[in-house]
Amino acid sequence: MDTHEHIVKSYEEELSSLNNKIAKMGGLAEQVVGQSIDALDGRDPDLAGITIQQDEVIDELEKEIEEQAVVMIARRQPMAYDLRQIMAALRISTDLERIGDLGKNIAKRALAVVGEQQPKQLMLGLKHMGELALGQLKEVLDAYIERDADRALKVWYKDEEIDAMYNSLFRELLTYMMEDPRNIGLCTHLLFGAKNIERIGDHATNIAETVFFLVHGSAITDQRPKGDHTSSTPVPMRSAS
Amino acid sequence: MNLAIQTNVKERTETPAEGLEEKIVVRHLNFYYGEFRALADNNVNLYANKVTAFIGPSGCGKSTLLRVLNRIYDLYPNQRAEGEVLLDGENILKPTQDVNLLRAKVGMVFQKPTPFPMTIYENIAFGLRLYEQLPKSELDGRVEDALRRGALWDEVKDKLGASGLSLSGGQQQRLCIARTVAIRPEVILLDEPCSALDPISTAKIEELIDVLKREYTIAIVTHNMQQAARTSDYTAFMYLGELVEFSDTTQIFTNPKLEKTQDYITGRFG
Repeated sequence: MDTHEHIVKSYEEELSSLNNKIAKMGGLAEQVVGQSIDALDGRDPDLAGITIQQDEVIDELEKEIEEQAVVMIARRQPMAYDLRQIMAALRISTDLERIGDLGKNIAKRALAVVGEQQPKQLMLGLKHMGELALGQLKEVLDAYIERDADRALKVWYKDEEIDAMYNSLFRELLTYMMEDPRNIGLCTHLLFGAKNIERIGDHATNIAETVFFLVHGSAITDQRPKGDHTSSTPVPMRSAS
Repeated sequence: MNLAIQTNVKERTETPAEGLEEKIVVRHLNFYYGEFRALADNNVNLYANKVTAFIGPSGCGKSTLLRVLNRIYDLYPNQRAEGEVLLDGENILKPTQDVNLLRAKVGMVFQKPTPFPMTIYENIAFGLRLYEQLPKSELDGRVEDALRRGALWDEVKDKLGASGLSLSGGQQQRLCIARTVAIRPEVILLDEPCSALDPISTAKIEELIDVLKREYTIAIVTHNMQQAARTSDYTAFMYLGELVEFSDTTQIFTNPKLEKTQDYITGRFG
């Protein structure tokens, strides 16, 4: 969106500082999510540890953004697009903080499975799902920086793919567990990891909604099917042999 | 897929005007100070029991528009209005219009408090005597009623004989509102009523506007965006004598249709 500059320069500076903090937070969130999946994939406790620590920086940034937004609302009494920018920063920072937490959770799972051996293909689905979620996150953060509602809308629609992948991964892991009970420990960790990635996708979708609101001043009115059906997926009974 | 959503966005920005009673309808209004055209083809509705705010930079014509609504400009030579201003369907710009009767129906409060140099009681009673012959007891009742409506009664009931000029700025302004309300107008025009007042007096006047709109139609001119956002139901943005955007106040201050409006209310003008 093309807007003129404020007459009061310091107001303009505050808005761009808020913008920069979101960009920084977004970059860190991407890093945490990417590293946590790598740590899980590569059984890398060091990387997992670093990743868990990085999440603290994200939490700090969220607090900073919240404080700055409150001060700006009190002192500038923002209107129209400015108000939406500040509300958007608040909402996006909350989503990014949650994404950081979910990344941290995945890193913790990585620490938990360090000693476990498993066939490589078990990780493939999860990795692919992680790449998809990370791509969504990158795309929606670019949409935010560019104030591009159409791009955000594409992210919003694409979340279905992550949901579909989660559903199939759920079934796949269930099958492994039934094949060999020794897989249960590892598969449970991976299942939680997958759920965390699916939630990261949902937060990227929230951010997409916020970007749309920021640009147009209204909510997305279309309906998007909710994709996680695992809560109603029955566990198949093993046939007696 | 994007198309459907875009259409929805557009539809939502339309001003809903259903179920509203048009108290004042301004149509193709042009106003001239001598040769200078201060208002250019203004069209706007003031709805009954609603507060309409007029915002815009200095010299954009918002005060001029207010001055047309009770024809106070008639007092000055070389000022003329063209077009129509309908009050309950009657064109008040017609030459046969009784302006005194009009000003009794459409009261006005100015930027600087303008109490008459007489007692508080007389400030209110003066206007009442012009329009009505009332026995003393009834006059007393009407003065009290007006001061109560002006949210001033409790502060002045023990000193009605004191000069109106002895009151504080905020009290003087409420006295002026009480004076306007005393003759039971239908429309109240407020031209920057709080610009000379402290925040507490401002809050009292804003509370008063909230109460008064239940019975009157109110138009307020203000330079304070937040005040327009706080007090009004509808907002009109004016620029260089033109009425640029008129909409629901919530719409104007969260998602105005036009970039010019947005630039003005967010302080980006120029």
